[in-house]
Amino acid sequence: MPRWGMVIDVKRCIACWGCTIACKEEHFLPPGVFFNRVLIGETGKFPSSSKLIYPILCNHCSDAACVEACPTGATYVREDGIVAIDDTKCVGCRACLVSCPYQQRTYYDQKVKDKEYFPGQGKTEMELIGEKLYPFKLGTVIKCNFCSERIEDGLKKGLTPGKDEDASPACVNICPVNARVFGDLDDPNSEINRMIMEKKGKQLRKEFGTEPAVYYID
Amino acid sequence: MSNKIHHLVQTMFPPDGSGLKPYEWMVNPTRQQQWIDNQGIFLWLAFFFSEIGAGLYFVSLFYEFKAGLILGWLITLILGGAIHILYLGNPLRAWRMIMKPKTSELSRGIWIIGVFAVMGFLQIISGSSFNVVFNIIMGILCLLIISHGFATMNVIRALPAWSSTMVLPLSVISGVWVGYQLLQFMFVVSKPAEIASGMEVWAEVFFFAYVLCIILYAWGTYHSSEIGKESIIMQGTGELKRISLIGVGGLGVALPLILTLIMWGGDTNAFWIFLRLASVFAGDLAVRYVIMKSAVYKPLLTRQ
Repeated sequence: MPRWGMVIDVKRCIACWGCTIACKEEHFLPPGVFFNRVLIGETGKFPSSSKLIYPILCNHCSDAACVEACPTGATYVREDGIVAIDDTKCVGCRACLVSCPYQQRTYYDQKVKDKEYFPGQGKTEMELIGEKLYPFKLGTVIKCNFCSERIEDGLKKGLTPGKDEDASPACVNICPVNARVFGDLDDPNSEINRMIMEKKGKQLRKEFGTEPAVYYID
Repeated sequence: MSNKIHHLVQTMFPPDGSGLKPYEWMVNPTRQQQWIDNQGIFLWLAFFFSEIGAGLYFVSLFYEFKAGLILGWLITLILGGAIHILYLGNPLRAWRMIMKPKTSELSRGIWIIGVFAVMGFLQIISGSSFNVVFNIIMGILCLLIISHGFATMNVIRALPAWSSTMVLPLSVISGVWVGYQLLQFMFVVSKPAEIASGMEVWAEVFFFAYVLCIILYAWGTYHSSEIGKESIIMQGTGELKRISLIGVGGLGVALPLILTLIMWGGDTNAFWIFLRLASVFAGDLAVRYVIMKSAVYKPLLTRQ
């Protein structure tokens, strides 16, 4: 069984927010909800300051704080390493949300559901279709799932996640500079492992001790 | 600015910072909101009521006071329990929370409250209510319930203001202290005056232990990490400044101190005890509020 992971080369990232938008389109996310963000910060002091650009998403940690905190078992680590949420079990206690040191989860309630992309003008057809095609359950927590639907469908068709677009996460496909690489962390010959080894990939805030499956090259 | 544009701006960039600014998320120390803002306020009240109810039950065991047991049991289960349920996004699935006691502190808490509900009920209805074995079991359960709310927060490593070492001792002492005040008030209105007067010695001990725990919590958290320091600074500035000053400093510490000094040596009366109870109630709510409200996450990007 593979263990899916991602490498993000921040030197390549141009902060175009393509990943953010592709993710919103893929999951029909309402306004204000992001499974993928591009953070912009800075380091150093003028005149030797430099900009930090970090695309952030759920790290699908193997020792995830959210999984430990969940009292119902709704949040769990799948065999392929993806941290998933079973919305039929979620009670909406938000312990996972508070526990996540990366803060990559969102509580989906009526207030979030009612938000419109064009406030005061009603929901667009796209938003209404999204609610039918990709329904989130009210009173539950939602987050990035590494586009597990695409991975599963792709695998059924005999495709390889990370290589074939139809089997890879939307954020990986959209990236115009190939800053994101997706693949199997358990395969020593995979491109993702080669990049982690050769370019010294690091986990973000390793000190949190959650063993993220997303690595950064900076 | 026209109303329409103003509404649009308010929707996109609400004053609470939850608007469309994905590039700023977690770049600076970010305050936790889920367990205190909006619906999260229920959790603050639920933790408070469960803990003071269990505190009252705990101290009533020592004084073999059945009315205290009943009131403590009811506060814990009806006020604490019901408000907990109100907080949940899917209250009808609350039973599922018993599923993971191995890793989840919340789940362990549900088990403890369940056992407390059954055992407490048996103790209240039984003829020999204050049997030693019953007392020991219920005493342990009460201490676990008192510390449950803050224990749930304490295990969250991402928030130094909550994972501070002093959070649990503060929680236990505050539960016992507020519970003791409730019991003292119940005694002063229903029993001979000398009983409430005799209780004053322990009231003094609990009060000073409580103040010491608050000081040690603030000092310990301030020195634990940069983010811990940030939380303590937040408690003394901005919107929390007033609550810290009036609620914690005034009602939680200063006024009870004055009243304790007035009643020093057992010179008690119902009015002073009631006033101290009200002050301690509001003060403890304020302590819990500022601790819950000021917890911040470490930024994901390092800014130097």
